[in-house]
Amino acid sequence: MGTEAAATFTAPPREATRESVRLSADEIAGLLPHRYPFLMLDRVVHVTPGVSAEAIKNVSVADPVLAGHFPGRMIFPGVLLIECVAQLAAVMYGTASLREGSATPDSVAGRVGYLAEVRQAKFLRPVYPGDQLIVQAHNGPRVGSLISVTGQISVDRELVMTTRLAVTQRPAPDHQPDQ
Amino acid sequence: MTMTLEDVRTRAQTRHELCGQVKKLLVDRLSLDVDPGMISDDQPLFGRGLELDSIDTLELAVAVQEELGVTITDDDTECLLSLNRLVDHIEKNRG
Repeated sequence: MGTEAAATFTAPPREATRESVRLSADEIAGLLPHRYPFLMLDRVVHVTPGVSAEAIKNVSVADPVLAGHFPGRMIFPGVLLIECVAQLAAVMYGTASLREGSATPDSVAGRVGYLAEVRQAKFLRPVYPGDQLIVQAHNGPRVGSLISVTGQISVDRELVMTTRLAVTQRPAPDHQPDQ
Repeated sequence: MTMTLEDVRTRAQTRHELCGQVKKLLVDRLSLDVDPGMISDDQPLFGRGLELDSIDTLELAVAVQEELGVTITDDDTECLLSLNRLVDHIEKNRG
């Protein structure tokens, strides 16, 4: 019970609601195996574990990806918007596993699985440096290790992207292996 | 409990309609390149039947949940072995 992430979940949440939890970038890094240059979310504004979550990502001119996409016409790539939603999905199931006890702060990042399917993704408006992405995700049905997730991203209250994905969570070590 | 001929007919009709509904759901939601009418009631869904894969399992669960209000969980995966078993599961769990 000595790590930062554990302290977050046992201390009273800083937000007023009992269910909702706010996560800093360090706390997000405690839940995910991702690291620079592929950790997407700056802050989780609230998460109801296993149900829904909302996060922020600030798109910066300093992001190396923009140097190549494209020179003279910097646009944040759509596939990375999908990645933002997928990582928020991992935050949702990671916090749920911590809460229900099927993961510890040391093991939760190891449970993060894979992106299994992009059922649909629509990119409605381009995303530019200076945009603050509001990333939202909702859990859908789960069958085995496959979880359906719907997500959307807005900038200045306008939708820039909607998506439906399937992601996986790896089983806890003492469970039967997936068939 | 015995059923009247009328009961039997009604039940068979309801079952037949539900089978049709589920076949259409399969074709639409899983983007199958097959006429729903060509799917047989005892068709295996995975492997040599309709050749669905494991990711289709999830989409099927989502579709059945959204369109028929019935949940498919890990404990129910046996019902995905054939169309008939799936319809059995739906009939059993419908409101």
